[in-house]
Amino acid sequence: MKDIFFDLSVRSVKLNFLRSLLASIGIVIGVVAISSMGMLGTNMQLMVKDQLTAGINTIVITPDVVRAEPGSSSPSTSGITESQLKEIRDAAGANDVIPIDRTSTRFSIGSSDGRGSIYGLDPGDVKMIMNVSEGSTIRGEGDAIVGAQIASRFNLKIGTRIKIGEPNVSITRPVVRVVGILPTIGMSSSTGINTDNAIIVSDTWYTAQYGGGNVYDQVNVNLKDVSTLSEVEGAIDRKVNRNKDVVRISDASSRITSVSSTLSSLTTFILAIGSISLLVAATSIFNVMMMSVSERVQEIGILLSIGTEKGEVRRMFLYEAFILGFIGAALGGMASLVIGYSVVSAMIGSTAYFFLPESLIYVPAGMVIGMAVCIASGLYPAWSASNLDPIEALRSE
Amino acid sequence: MSEIPLIRLVDVTKVYNLESGDVIALDHVSVDIGENEFVAIMGPSGSGKSTLMNQLGILDVPTSGDLFINGRNVASMTILERTHMRRDVIGYIFQKFYLIPLLSAYENVEYPLILKYKQRDTSGKAADVLKSVGFDRALGAHRPSQLSGGEQQRVAIARALVNDPKILLCDEPTGNLDRKTGFQIMDILVGLHREGKTVILVTHDPKIAEYAQRTIQLEDGRIVAS
Repeated sequence: MKDIFFDLSVRSVKLNFLRSLLASIGIVIGVVAISSMGMLGTNMQLMVKDQLTAGINTIVITPDVVRAEPGSSSPSTSGITESQLKEIRDAAGANDVIPIDRTSTRFSIGSSDGRGSIYGLDPGDVKMIMNVSEGSTIRGEGDAIVGAQIASRFNLKIGTRIKIGEPNVSITRPVVRVVGILPTIGMSSSTGINTDNAIIVSDTWYTAQYGGGNVYDQVNVNLKDVSTLSEVEGAIDRKVNRNKDVVRISDASSRITSVSSTLSSLTTFILAIGSISLLVAATSIFNVMMMSVSERVQEIGILLSIGTEKGEVRRMFLYEAFILGFIGAALGGMASLVIGYSVVSAMIGSTAYFFLPESLIYVPAGMVIGMAVCIASGLYPAWSASNLDPIEALRSE
Repeated sequence: MSEIPLIRLVDVTKVYNLESGDVIALDHVSVDIGENEFVAIMGPSGSGKSTLMNQLGILDVPTSGDLFINGRNVASMTILERTHMRRDVIGYIFQKFYLIPLLSAYENVEYPLILKYKQRDTSGKAADVLKSVGFDRALGAHRPSQLSGGEQQRVAIARALVNDPKILLCDEPTGNLDRKTGFQIMDILVGLHREGKTVILVTHDPKIAEYAQRTIQLEDGRIVAS
């Protein structure tokens, strides 16, 4: 059955087409904001989770970084010692154990200066935790692999020389030669090493420059069988942390939880910002609905006086709010796909996760929220219309 | 149980509480109107004609006294029951026609049927009633704004009749029409009275009042002649 009250609402919307369209545009913007922001957050989470999951077979061991020793007023830092490394090797059994040195440094390429991380690794271990996208791996002292971000910022080529250390005219700085360039790894790393803004050198070169040959900043254990993860972690913990916690042991799953939780908070925050636009839209819909009621007071009086129930008058105005919401949500849903795709592409650089259900669900969710907001905005106008005094309403011009 | 006439007012008073003070619009009015009567209500401006019509049309309730319509005391009815009585028992014809501007002439006539039966009219009743007041299908498709005053009033009469009400309340039905069209409308109302409707008519015009069998004269909220 075609409902006459729905018909009346459609005709009212058509009669005030421009006003209705403008009110619906508010909903379009709200739906686009919520859907796009939601999709952006989810795409970020999915990408990071995937990157971390890729390194699920890696255990990252770091010193229990800063600890205040009893009796000491300042916290002290400690690395992983040679004896602790031996204990890790014993506990790790046949799995690969990769000690890593790390510090932060200034460097110069030609006349340009920069700052980044510098990692020292045994050249034999490099292949186990990173693969170059261009050039080759480190073979000897003086060779370096650089991260994608440094390479692109300084337009580095294979063979470019980098002076390491603070620029100082009185001291000749050590030089490394770029032999390989790494691919972009993004905001997360499964190996505990963020190489995008880093220079990777051999451990012997690193030790020669920075010392600390018997102390390491991080140790990675690459598992041959991922099912032994908790078993190996437990063995390392029992062996190295037997007296007190001297190292922190983490794996991708704990990092996934931590990063996902952070990104989830971020998504909620940006969704909340998106919701503000829906609140503005709600005000606009409320205003349009109140205008519609005040312009149709006499008509409402006629309807009530000839036997229309209050509920039917309410329904008529709620239909009108529904129509405005439906138009806004439908247009908003379509626009969300286009704008959301562009935002995700621009902000994350990848749309590989865009069409997954977890991401696309924000489109219908945004549409439903937009419509709900619209109908909620129509509740009071509809209620006030149905409660008009028919005599007073008939008298109004 | 003694038979109650179709409409009975017993000591009905209506007081409006205004900022400037209380205004007594109806002052202890008692009157009976039986089935198939044709009654004219006359009186000067401010005499309480409109207030009485609002009471008879159950658009308002008395401040005190009892109003019985179709055997029921209006004061004891729920809001929904009053709404249904307006829809089923009473047909309204207004001076300003009060058609629904967004609906066509045909849809205006069909509207009370939809209210009653909760579905579009497939019986052809709306078209028949519209035809009985001189509207063909093509004219029925016009919106009220595209019709003359006389045509609009005929649509209003058709709308009032479509649910076959017992009572027709006509508030100055010829007030916005030229004399000739006014008499045509009155001829329709006389015909409806002959068919058994109870017609209650408010008018300033003694010529129009002459169509009625009985005239109720109001002054200052009181019935001075009946």
